[in-house]
Amino acid sequence: MAPKQRNTAAVAASAPSAPVTTVPIPTTTSTATTAAIKSSSSKQAASNTQAWDKVFNNITTHYLKTTPQRTKLLDAFMAFLVVVGALQFLYCVLAGNYPFNAFLSGFSATVGQFVLTASLRIQTTEANKKDFPAVSPERAFADYVVCSLILHFFCVNFIN
Amino acid sequence: MMRSPLLSFFAFLFAALCVSAVSTTGNRVLAILDDVAEKAIYSKFLGDLEGRGFQLTFETPKSESLALFKLGERVYDHVIFFPTKTKGLGPNLTPNILVQFLNANGNILQTLSSGVSTPNSLVSFLSEVGIELPVDRTGLVVDHFSYDTSSAADSHDVLLLPPPAPIRSDIKNLFSAGAAKDQVLAFPRGVGAVLGSSENLTPILRAPRTAYSYNPKEQSEVVDDLFAAGQQLSLVSAFQALNSARLVLLGSAELLQDKWFDADVTKPDGTTHKTFNREFAKRLSAWAFQELGVLRVNWIEHRLNEVGGSNETNPGIYRIKNDVKYTISLSEYAYDKWSAFSVPKNDVLQLEFSMLSPFHRLPLKFDESHSSPEASAYSVSFKLPDQHGIFNFKVNYKRPLLSNMEEKNTVSVRHMAHDEWPRSFVISGAWPWIAGIGATVTGWIAFCALWMYSAPPADYKKESKKTQ
Repeated sequence: MAPKQRNTAAVAASAPSAPVTTVPIPTTTSTATTAAIKSSSSKQAASNTQAWDKVFNNITTHYLKTTPQRTKLLDAFMAFLVVVGALQFLYCVLAGNYPFNAFLSGFSATVGQFVLTASLRIQTTEANKKDFPAVSPERAFADYVVCSLILHFFCVNFIN
Repeated sequence: MMRSPLLSFFAFLFAALCVSAVSTTGNRVLAILDDVAEKAIYSKFLGDLEGRGFQLTFETPKSESLALFKLGERVYDHVIFFPTKTKGLGPNLTPNILVQFLNANGNILQTLSSGVSTPNSLVSFLSEVGIELPVDRTGLVVDHFSYDTSSAADSHDVLLLPPPAPIRSDIKNLFSAGAAKDQVLAFPRGVGAVLGSSENLTPILRAPRTAYSYNPKEQSEVVDDLFAAGQQLSLVSAFQALNSARLVLLGSAELLQDKWFDADVTKPDGTTHKTFNREFAKRLSAWAFQELGVLRVNWIEHRLNEVGGSNETNPGIYRIKNDVKYTISLSEYAYDKWSAFSVPKNDVLQLEFSMLSPFHRLPLKFDESHSSPEASAYSVSFKLPDQHGIFNFKVNYKRPLLSNMEEKNTVSVRHMAHDEWPRSFVISGAWPWIAGIGATVTGWIAFCALWMYSAPPADYKKESKKTQ
């Protein structure tokens, strides 16, 4: 995950202007913006939001352009799991944790599924290929299915 | 003519009935007197005892054949000590033997008299159980406000007392119930005792507030140093050992004499009263000899009190949080029969459910469905505590003037088996989390289907082929 994140951050920062991949350019743009802030304080807020909008737009367009279909699918599923997990935790905070085993198994099913999905994402991402020379995407998916089934079996048993 | 044999037959039946009435612990009574001929002055009292089925044996302390034990067994069930002039009672009635006699469930009725100094042996024995007598082993209780003017106009030493009421409101009225309002108890020339703090001691009759005890020999002129006065003085005292053996100390032996039974006495205010002595003597000896205030546990039952649960009586094991019902059946003896025991008004019979210390202490309620005229049942239903271990159902009922009762029934309490917990789907609070698992699993299945049907990009395929 880590090397990939670093990659996208660098790409996103360099994306707005010319396709230059060197580091100094973002720093020059940032000095330019600070200079602009100094020159006119009234335009400060507007230019700031504009800059952030730009950053987000660039990130999304870059993500949509460069991410493979299956990775997008993975991300969507992980976002879904985050929502489901957050709802369960919120319910536990608001309504109390009785019966606790039900909370544990419900919440850990979601968290565990998230972890397994994240692992699948790491193993199938193009950029990480050299880290897992022996693991083909098919093999990774098979591992994922087996592990998920074991997890579901455990959780359903534990919730009684 | 025809009637007389029939009548005598009925009289015989009645006599037989009377004789059959007997104490719960035995009917052999030993009476110790200075002189066996002395028994004539107690003839009514002793006759009453024989009428209730006791077999009396008379001995003097000097007698060679006198022994309370033979081959390690009690020879007598009860002993009455009438006042004796001898200083010691000899080797057969040492304090040690008397204590052994109590330990062996024997009962003792001991009487004192101010005219006769109490033998050393009995003084030591009484101090053993916590009863203190006047130092010089003699004393005289007088009351200048309530005495019999006809017999003790000058000495004021025949006390007239109301029949003894219970000392506490939660104790049964054993001694004065049924007494006529104007009846008084004559207490002639008696000795008062002071009771220690032992919880086994109960004063049956306390001296009135205006009474005091002094030594008539040394203090005949000036009474300065009193042994005790007022309600400190216990005229009739009871001691009940933990094994329910009883000792009664009666301060005035003369109270039992024929001349005071149903006699007429006159109070200082001039009113004439009948004495209550005969009935009191009967009740006192009945209490001492285990005919009154004796409790019996008929049966104890505890069982699961749950719908669909096992119907086993007194099971050895329960589960935590089981609903359980405990029932105990009690009877009380009175002279000749067992009858239902009713807990006194202000008292409560309690059940403890304990492991080391009680987890529950619950009042037992009268249970009419299991009661009869001969036995009354008391029961309570409760939920076992959330604690597994070895527990006792314990009824510990020790009250003054009632025989001691301590009943323990041991049971194991196990924890929940893993399949005895409620299922999560039964608990509505768990539904969101069940839904969480459901969402995760269905989301995962949908994800897997999409994953397998989504075609990987062309270059990705190429690269994977290359590596393979």
